[in-house]
Amino acid sequence: MTQVKWISSVAGGLLLAAGAFGILESGAADVFLEATRPDFQKISLAVAGIQNAGGPEWLGGQIEEVLKKDVKRSLVFDLVDLPSLGIKARALGTGMGSDAKAVFNQAAGNGVSVVVWGKASLKESGKEAEVNMEGLVYDSGSDEVIGGKRYAGNPSVLRLMAHRFADELVFRYTGEPGIARTKIAYVVQHASVREIAVMDYDGYDARQVTADGFLNLMPRWSPDCRFLLFTAYRSRNTQDIDMIELATGKRWTVVSLGGLNITPALSPDGNFLAFASSYQGDSELYLLDTRTKARQRLTVNPSGDLSPSWSPNGRELTFVSDRGGGPQVFLMSADGSNVRRLTFEGDYNAAPVWSPRGNRIAYVCRIHKEYKLCIISPDGQNRMQLTTGPGIDDSPSWSPDGRHLVFSSTVHEKSHIYMIDADGKNLERLTFQGTRNSAPSWCPAS
Amino acid sequence: MKKGLYACGVAMMSLALIGLTGCASKSLQSGGNSSAQAPAKAGSGSNADSFPSTGIQPSGSELRGLEKSPSEERVGNAMLSKVDPSASAPRQLDEAASAELRDVFFGYDSWAISEEAGLGLTRNAEWIKSNSSAQVKIEGHCDERGTSAYNLVLGEKRAKTVRNYLVELGIGANRLSVVSYGKEQPSCSEHDEPCYQQNRRGHLVVKSGK
Repeated sequence: MTQVKWISSVAGGLLLAAGAFGILESGAADVFLEATRPDFQKISLAVAGIQNAGGPEWLGGQIEEVLKKDVKRSLVFDLVDLPSLGIKARALGTGMGSDAKAVFNQAAGNGVSVVVWGKASLKESGKEAEVNMEGLVYDSGSDEVIGGKRYAGNPSVLRLMAHRFADELVFRYTGEPGIARTKIAYVVQHASVREIAVMDYDGYDARQVTADGFLNLMPRWSPDCRFLLFTAYRSRNTQDIDMIELATGKRWTVVSLGGLNITPALSPDGNFLAFASSYQGDSELYLLDTRTKARQRLTVNPSGDLSPSWSPNGRELTFVSDRGGGPQVFLMSADGSNVRRLTFEGDYNAAPVWSPRGNRIAYVCRIHKEYKLCIISPDGQNRMQLTTGPGIDDSPSWSPDGRHLVFSSTVHEKSHIYMIDADGKNLERLTFQGTRNSAPSWCPAS
Repeated sequence: MKKGLYACGVAMMSLALIGLTGCASKSLQSGGNSSAQAPAKAGSGSNADSFPSTGIQPSGSELRGLEKSPSEERVGNAMLSKVDPSASAPRQLDEAASAELRDVFFGYDSWAISEEAGLGLTRNAEWIKSNSSAQVKIEGHCDERGTSAYNLVLGEKRAKTVRNYLVELGIGANRLSVVSYGKEQPSCSEHDEPCYQQNRRGHLVVKSGK
């Protein structure tokens, strides 16, 4: 019943349908009402402050900062600054007291749809420490405090509490799970060593997940985000595709055929692994049935085929082939039939990734000798260049909500990881640590 | 009025969808249950090609919606196990560069053997012939431009072109192996053409042991 109520209370009710489709995951690729549409009205939201209710001085401020950035990145909300509207909104309390009511009325009068506030405390007893956070939400449409959340946990999950609250806000107003709790896998480079690491979607809390001291390349997530697949050089002579379970650190080899074994991609249902291998000569695409272990060859030609990426409904693949000379982006059915070329502009187009909503494919395009990101529709229409300027851009990967891309770039000389909105706005650098970071992959589920 | 009708339509559609999702998550969940044991099995040995079930498990979402009187939720971050970087054993090199074996260099985007590279390979072939027990590995490398993935393919093309050239010069194919490092093992890291040229190379090493 609450779902029905959204419609009456919220301007963004239209998005509800989109959210419900999102949960269905596949088959509905073209029916999305996207928040990236130019005519989409963002919901104006103000964070009125997270008060300190005991603990260090920075506590509330830090949670507030994380929450505000999440709200902004969601692209669902338009973050409004109350003080700039002349509204003093400290100490709102938890109810609908007369002070609070005055603030809400002022905010609503200035066009603010949602006011969010809360409190946080950190208690230490001996070696144990506990953070408590409470967040509350006022909705001007229904003129009431529509609800809140209370979280408790170790201080190490402080940021995660703010992320989870931000995702609850997105969920409440769109039916989508939000992206603030998602992770990004990538490659950390020290000298000639490449290890796989995982970080939060905003670049924080990075952790290394391999430690071989040699080459581990191009990680890709399983659909449930519990596993990573990547290319590993087992010795200096052979290259395999390995799989690692993040919760346990268990790691094993899933493809070991000899030659190049690269660019693994699990189908959305997890039942098929598409990958490129050169064990029969040049790099070709193969499909491994993860249940029967049957292997099927998808491409047959004397040139390089690589980098498969699944359509969200699992029926098609986009991939790279240099059968025409330089690398270009192609499409085919998941059984290898119906191959057709997608990109015709430029002599270098590679690393395609199908958007989670199915309506776009991002890839690396060479334009005026620079390697930038481009986006195109699967029907070959609406090609646009997403990034500009100097620097080699590589490895685009979609956020699960399809509103952002993460990629690597050498725009600041050494390769680091950046996030950008799917319309080319809000470029944000995510990694600052380590010598070089590359090959990001965004986990596809929230 | 129109707006009201539309909102009602959307609501009905979403209710129907929620119903559908409910069914979908049920069947997925039962798949999820069976997958719970799969990772343990997969990890129990070094059995290659074993796959746990990795389909989406909607039960994993922690979002419960805003509540009028929120109950306390514990927040934990159990996703990642710790990796001990000290566990990484230094790799034993079973190969060595030979001062007699020269690198061969390639053009931008190219895996063709130039005249100069051909001369270098002819000299390399003479050395390999006169060291008849030497096993030679050919590494294909690329400059930093272009994608990591395509550069691995390009590096392999370069390594294989070098191998084929050496075979034509009379070296037994069984003495030659290839590996591509793409742009992952550059010999220099400046962003200029002299460095790019140095990195677009076929590098020959002599394998010891096997």
